[in-house]
Amino acid sequence: MLNDIHKSYDHLEVLKGISLDVTKGELVTFVGPSGCGKTTLLRVIGGFTPFDSGEVILDGQRIDHLPPNLRDTRICFQNYALFPHMTVAENISYGLKIKKWKKNKIQERVEELLRLVKLEGLGGRMIDKLSGGQQQRVAVARALSLEPKVLLLDEPLSNLDANLRLTMRGEIRKLQERLKITTIFVTHDQFEAMSISDRIVVMKEGVIQQIGSPIEIYEQPENEFIASFVGYVNFLDGVVERVDIRPNMATVSTPVGEIDFVPERNFNVGDKVKLVIRPETINISRSEPTTGDNILQGEVEIGMYVGSLAKYTVQVKGERMIIDQTNPRETGIFKENEKIYLTIPKNIHVLRKN
Amino acid sequence: MRGKLGLAMFIAILSVAFMMNHAQAQNVRAYMGLSPENNVKVVNFVKEKTGISILQTFQSFGEIEAKVKSEAPNFNADMITGCGSPLAFMAKKNGWSVAYDSPEWKGMTSEFIDKEKFWFNISNFSFVLVGNRDKLKEKGYAMPKSWKELLDPKWKDQIVMSSPFSSGTANMIRFSFLALYGEEQGWKFIEALDKNIHHYTRSGNAPTDLVGRGEFLLGITSDENVKDRLDKGFPLLWAVPEEGIGYDGTFAMILKGTKVMDVCKKVIDVFGTPEFSKMMAKMGYVTPHPAPNALYGDKTPKYIKLDLGYAAEMRPKWNDVWKEKFRTEFK
Amino acid sequence: MAMAEILSIPQRNLWEKIKTFINAELIHILAAILFLLLAIFLLYPILAVLIKSIKGPEGLTLSYYAKFFTKGYYFQSLLNTLMLGFINTVVCLTVGFCMAYLTTRGPLSLRKPLKFITMMPLIAPPYLFAISLIILFGRNGILTKAFGLNWSIYGFSGVVIAQTLAFIPLAYLMIENTLMSLNPNLEESAYDLGASETRIIRTITIPLLAPGILKAGLLVFVMTIAEFGNAAILGGRTPFLAPDTYQMIIGEADFEMGSVLSVILIIPCIIIFFLHSYLLTGKKFTTIGGKPVASEPRKMTPLVKIPFLIISCLAGLVILISFGVVFISSFTRLLGVKNEIVFSHILNFDSNRAIYNSIQVSLVAAFIGAIIGTLLAYVIVRGKFFGRTFIEMVSLSGFALPGTVIGIGYLLAFNTPPFKLTGGIMILALNCVFRFLAVGVEAGISKLHQINIEIEEASADLGANFMTTFYKIVLPIMFPAFIAGFIYTFMTAIVSLSAVVFLVSPGFELAAVKIFDAAAYGEIGIASATTMKLVVIVIFCMVILNFITKRTGFDVSQKKRSVTV
Repeated sequence: MLNDIHKSYDHLEVLKGISLDVTKGELVTFVGPSGCGKTTLLRVIGGFTPFDSGEVILDGQRIDHLPPNLRDTRICFQNYALFPHMTVAENISYGLKIKKWKKNKIQERVEELLRLVKLEGLGGRMIDKLSGGQQQRVAVARALSLEPKVLLLDEPLSNLDANLRLTMRGEIRKLQERLKITTIFVTHDQFEAMSISDRIVVMKEGVIQQIGSPIEIYEQPENEFIASFVGYVNFLDGVVERVDIRPNMATVSTPVGEIDFVPERNFNVGDKVKLVIRPETINISRSEPTTGDNILQGEVEIGMYVGSLAKYTVQVKGERMIIDQTNPRETGIFKENEKIYLTIPKNIHVLRKN
Repeated sequence: MRGKLGLAMFIAILSVAFMMNHAQAQNVRAYMGLSPENNVKVVNFVKEKTGISILQTFQSFGEIEAKVKSEAPNFNADMITGCGSPLAFMAKKNGWSVAYDSPEWKGMTSEFIDKEKFWFNISNFSFVLVGNRDKLKEKGYAMPKSWKELLDPKWKDQIVMSSPFSSGTANMIRFSFLALYGEEQGWKFIEALDKNIHHYTRSGNAPTDLVGRGEFLLGITSDENVKDRLDKGFPLLWAVPEEGIGYDGTFAMILKGTKVMDVCKKVIDVFGTPEFSKMMAKMGYVTPHPAPNALYGDKTPKYIKLDLGYAAEMRPKWNDVWKEKFRTEFK
Repeated sequence: MAMAEILSIPQRNLWEKIKTFINAELIHILAAILFLLLAIFLLYPILAVLIKSIKGPEGLTLSYYAKFFTKGYYFQSLLNTLMLGFINTVVCLTVGFCMAYLTTRGPLSLRKPLKFITMMPLIAPPYLFAISLIILFGRNGILTKAFGLNWSIYGFSGVVIAQTLAFIPLAYLMIENTLMSLNPNLEESAYDLGASETRIIRTITIPLLAPGILKAGLLVFVMTIAEFGNAAILGGRTPFLAPDTYQMIIGEADFEMGSVLSVILIIPCIIIFFLHSYLLTGKKFTTIGGKPVASEPRKMTPLVKIPFLIISCLAGLVILISFGVVFISSFTRLLGVKNEIVFSHILNFDSNRAIYNSIQVSLVAAFIGAIIGTLLAYVIVRGKFFGRTFIEMVSLSGFALPGTVIGIGYLLAFNTPPFKLTGGIMILALNCVFRFLAVGVEAGISKLHQINIEIEEASADLGANFMTTFYKIVLPIMFPAFIAGFIYTFMTAIVSLSAVVFLVSPGFELAAVKIFDAAAYGEIGIASATTMKLVVIVIFCMVILNFITKRTGFDVSQKKRSVTV
């Protein structure tokens, strides 16, 4: 649990009052653009960066005055920070040696951990003889050696190449679920965050923007920043024209026309709002659709076919909208300047603008 | 960018031009081994009287000897205006110096001018015993009256003297003691004395300053600066111990190969004038033209009987002996 | 372009053909000329020394070496020198480590001041400390009198102290550099896993720093044994190799033994120079993390903090006091004995003229040195010919060789026509040029690596011939390196003593030699004043260097003092 953490470097406040509760066994990800403070926050939890005010509480006890080794948190740095002059086994057993475990117990534990991260038999290797992915796993094994209550991972996958990242992502999540260990994961990659987290904490400039599950963050972002941070989004500014109670429907007049949506909260006529429309929710077709959803007419500006989907930039009454068409084989590819119909569903997430 | 390059070049060229400047007329490059200040006084005197600039950097007699030996026969100087007797004789023997029948030196005794006119002794100097008045008083010691007293263990690490390798004074001291006591006893004396010597300095005049400043109690030093320091108010006591003191000359000569022969000759001439002798005597030297000696006054000190030629011949051998005996020190 | 091609191109006349040839082969011609210069002014003198040491009256002989190893005095000199080097290295590394650790991991408030003080000795000639020690601990020293000490500064201990103070910054800089490139996450991980600070230092920090510390140690060792001034001034009756070579040559004209001592002195230097170069390609433990980064101030345990602080502060204090007393002594008639304020030392005509001379010589040396250095750098980086690495090694070797040896070498090599340079002034400048070439060359090389060769190729593509490309593209970009070489050579030349002490001629005194003479003669006031003036000049140069670094973004300041002066 973090309580109102404040931290400044040289008069620049990097953490402006962070408060957060993490449940046992969760994988929570701190995500945000560079400089948002996520790594600093992680280090604060780990005990490497002192902070100015606030509290860090673990299992009901304050730990913020404790040095890192006395907290039950273990950190895994972005560049793994493996001791290059030691072997894999020596790295993993470093903490155990300090705790004065017996030699055979240490060996047992090391082997257990190596099995856990699927690196059996590599105990005697020197670090520089390992691949990036293997190093990453050694780092995790080392962090787990002392059975911490909380595992802190600072951008663990950033140094791996794209394919490896995908596989490692899954591995880490599986490991975490198996051990049921509370984990805090820091990344700048929103897809990574989305794919493995129980909850996501979106941060910007030292302030938490939103905490929620991946679905909540994606489908109900609480502000513009969050909305555009994760995935692409079409924003439409507008003014509420009409609000009905039965059925629950509201209408917004936008530059592209009138759009109906199902309001998730109370809106009043005259409210200035922003519609958050995801590209994959918009349907594109040649013929006029017959559903009751919002239908717009437009012209294709650019079309890009990437195999699994086709991305279209469409001009509607002077506004540009991006549409992702999955399974483009069904409808065929739309060409430049082709006139098409867009169907926008009525359950749109709407942000209040003020 | 171009401007900076230009500026840099300009500075460089200017410097080179300045350096060329140094090789101007009416300059003579000389190796000169009197004490540094006395060097300057002589240089100024010559400049005043003739307008000639003697370009010199102080070097001890031994260093001059080493330089001349190693440079022969292509010397980097035009003349020597102050070196010890060993080098004077050596230079004549090896054909390094040029004979010159200077009108000013006519009739000078053989002590001061070479028969064949290869070298000119511009002044004689000696060594004396000096002590620091205040420090001696503090310790309750009296100035020793004889050289033998210096062997007393109470003077351990309290005496300084120059090294016979570099200093003409020390060379003189050494051959004087050897002459005084005979070679066998002489070396015994020097060895015993060595036990009380703190260290050997590079120049013969350094002990005057070291003792004058109170760093050491006693010194065996060249008499060249003694008068000057007394005048400056240093608490120095000086004495000629009862056995007597040695002496050596300060020799000038023209080096073969010089391109400014006439200038050199003029310098030699100046050295032979009575005015020059008077100036030197005021500093305490014993000069070619007899003149009132500022240091000794009317009393001629007791001199040890010396054969400078013999001493010069023996110098290399005595150097080796010295190296054997006194260079095996280690802490 | 092959010769045949060139000749077959239809040109207007022979002159055109020659111009084309020169254009195409310019790099090779340049390389040849530069190599010739290096051979004459760097290799030949060393060879002369070597030959002198084995050439007897009847031909080659090892008798002089035999004499060296059998006569107690000479051999003792070698032992003393090695001992000095060893002790010095240990002390400098220790102090350097403590200070580097504090400035990279200690409290922020301490970092800047500590670093500043540690680097102070860099702006002063090493023999400043001999002077300060005499003022403090000499026979009439301030502290000697205040505490009634019976200890003589003249001798082994005095030289050790002076040398240590002079070379602490060297050790510090190198260790700090490696410490900074050490990924702080490594130590933090260890900390996280429960290691105490002493354990971290023991199991993580020092093992990873080992190559860097070793390099620093080797360098300090070489600098210490080769440095002349402190050992000569404070040596007393304790013999050391460097001053002994001086005594042999200048005091006794014994060139043979002097050469023998020089060769003996050179051997460890050359060995270490090679080791150094090889170590550079050794295991790179430290840079898995990448960029050098100063880590956050850590809470240091008292067990580590206190001893480190004590050592660092002690060293810092001594350094400050040294500068202080030398400064004050410039204005006092005789500090500790006659404490009246005088300006005669500052205004002393002879020493001022010596400084003027030194400035002249150093300017010329700097100019020539920067040009040759830059050209060499270009030839080394862009040239593709056999022997390129050899040229590089030779041009950097002046760096590794003790000044005394090069000085003697010049004396032997250039004393007879057709090469007679001794007694003149150019020999002083040339000596400095080739001794300190390394910096200009290194600066040039590193700058050239920054310039993509494609820029030059683009220029050629657009029609420029080699000369034009060189003049319009390469030179302007390399200008900062040229300036760096210029200023650094100037700075080092002006305080350098060990070589020029053999080469000065009557009437043309140099500041460094003047200081040396004054110190040996007991004229502490003059020695102090002249030293302070040199310090001021050096500070001035560094300010300019700093300014240029800021303007061009090219960091030159790391290439500081690592040459025997």
